[in-house]
Amino acid sequence: MLVVMNKNAAKEQVEKVCDVIKEMGLTPHPIPGAQRIAIGITGNTSMVDTHRIEGLPGVLNLIHVTQPYKLTSREMKSEDTVINVRDIIIGGDGMVIIAGPCAVESQKQTMEVAYAMKESGAAILRGGAFKPRTSPYSFQGLGEQGLIILAQARSETGLPIISEALDTDNFDLVESYVDIIQIGARNMQNYSLLRRAGRSTKPVLLKRGISSTIKEFLLAAEYIMSEGNYNVILCERGIRTFSDYTRFTLDISSIPELKRITHLPIIVDPSHASGKRDMVIPLSRAAIAAGADGIMVEVHPNPDAALSDGPQSITIDMFRKLIAELDIIVKTIVKNERVEGENI
Amino acid sequence: MIITMSVDAMNDEIDHVIKKVKELGYSTKLFQGEKKTVIHVIGATDRERLIKTVEALQGVEKLVPILHPFKLASREFHPEDTVISVDGVRIGKSDFVVIAGPCAVESEKNLLEIAEIVKEAGAKFLRGGAFKPRSSPYSFQGLGEKGLEILAKARERTGLLIVTEVLSEVDVPLVYKYADVLQIGARNMQNFPLLKTVGRFNKTILLKRGMSATIEEWLMSAEYILSEGNPNVILCERGIRTFEKYTRNTLDMSAIPVIDRFSHLPILIDPSHASGDWRYVRALSKAAVAAGADGLLVEVHTNPPDAISDGKQSLKPEIFRQLMKEIRKIAEVTGKKL
Repeated sequence: MLVVMNKNAAKEQVEKVCDVIKEMGLTPHPIPGAQRIAIGITGNTSMVDTHRIEGLPGVLNLIHVTQPYKLTSREMKSEDTVINVRDIIIGGDGMVIIAGPCAVESQKQTMEVAYAMKESGAAILRGGAFKPRTSPYSFQGLGEQGLIILAQARSETGLPIISEALDTDNFDLVESYVDIIQIGARNMQNYSLLRRAGRSTKPVLLKRGISSTIKEFLLAAEYIMSEGNYNVILCERGIRTFSDYTRFTLDISSIPELKRITHLPIIVDPSHASGKRDMVIPLSRAAIAAGADGIMVEVHPNPDAALSDGPQSITIDMFRKLIAELDIIVKTIVKNERVEGENI
Repeated sequence: MIITMSVDAMNDEIDHVIKKVKELGYSTKLFQGEKKTVIHVIGATDRERLIKTVEALQGVEKLVPILHPFKLASREFHPEDTVISVDGVRIGKSDFVVIAGPCAVESEKNLLEIAEIVKEAGAKFLRGGAFKPRSSPYSFQGLGEKGLEILAKARERTGLLIVTEVLSEVDVPLVYKYADVLQIGARNMQNFPLLKTVGRFNKTILLKRGMSATIEEWLMSAEYILSEGNPNVILCERGIRTFEKYTRNTLDMSAIPVIDRFSHLPILIDPSHASGDWRYVRALSKAAVAAGADGLLVEVHTNPPDAISDGKQSLKPEIFRQLMKEIRKIAEVTGKKL
């Protein structure tokens, strides 16, 4: 349920509506918009008794949200969510490039990549400190030491940093260092981790599960938002199909789909989707042309010597060339073209 | 193994090479290109021995080992991108083409109207089904030869080249008479008698990927056509079947770089069938161009809600025109011209 307030509704009127919603045992989520404020209601398991809210001062009307995901839906919030991370804008009209090595391996490697990223136009530095590896015998990441190196790279280059939190145990630690917390594909339905991320004040980048539908993906985002953290960035990273030439099949159609049904920003990870270096560039271009809000790409100064995911990391030279191409594409397309209405 | 003969190889030199290969117990297949002749050695198990025997023979330029099960379709066989010319219109490498039109030919008036529109917007080919493979036997099955006649009339009127589907090998001679490009649909990707038949005709073939075909199976189907002597095959990705049901199929965009790596054949994208929803066609088309596709196959209809088939995925003329403008600019990034 969504309560739409009058254009000139006073702050007190909004607060009163929120209080009444709380009295009813439900959770209010004020959603500020350019025109007017709206208040989302969650926590109901059946129809909300609307009588008490309808008559309150400042209330324009009540809208029933038809989708199972509420706070993430466009019905609840028609304007795009724009997230500001240390003055880097995610969502809206531009494009954001998140780049860096798969794992933080050493201070030297991270600094080298960070400076190259900064100089070639990346906005945010990525790097895994806690790594979810398919095999328990593979390199598991440097842990806190990796986070310290990332923070150092941030203070030297000014690039905000993103890194993955693998479980609720290390969540606080990761949260204390990074600017954006990543929830990996394997954790997309780890509900206790999602709830913890929902109580964080930092933006969360949520990756799509390897075999989750769009609906399950948005319901996972809903877990985070329902706890009060509205700064969620969605990340498409390929789904499991029978096609075996690439590691996963990047679901490019999810971009226009998600743009239509949710207001959250969408980033594409072509590195994990393809698992192959020479496919990262065409898929990155495709993602931006399809209207994605950015890409997250693995870059390594010497991919063949990388401790993890070397075959899917591109070199710094390839990355520079890619950025130049993406700049041209993003300028030629009309982003966020949400096609509404009938095709007549 | 592929043996490439030099440009000036004589016929008796070619015969001699074939004779020597056969003496080793292998069979051969001969491809006479415009400039060079190529001999495909089938069943070569002892490479060393074959190389030793053939390498020094008169007229032999080089031997190329091919590790994939698809040979003629592979990059090793033909390192350069294949450029196909249909009545002077080039497809592949730096030439990007747009094939547009209705799902099915419905009436002369309707088709001519759409043809004028797509022509004006910059399409080079007109698509339209005369024989329709519908999931239900009770759905509209197409106008048949009447539909082909209408397509031919549209070509005469607009100069657009015609792409239309041939459903069975008995129809090949008939469709051949009218079409410039024969389309093999996704459901027929592994209809081997049909593939062999079209391989014997001198006409460009547009081969759609089966909805649950791997890249290798798809290239093997292309190989069926090529091995019959028809070198003009265009591949078309149109979405694969996955668990995701938001779109009719899941467009496998990575097929573009994968095909580019393993094959020399041009690859087109059909965003209309892939998504099944016109609202996604524009975004997917732009993405396909950016990913390096050689062209698009897009459904356009003047009045989608009234279309006899696939109205939901057809673009109205206005949106198609807008799309053409956008993709023209993106194509420049991948070094292609429209």
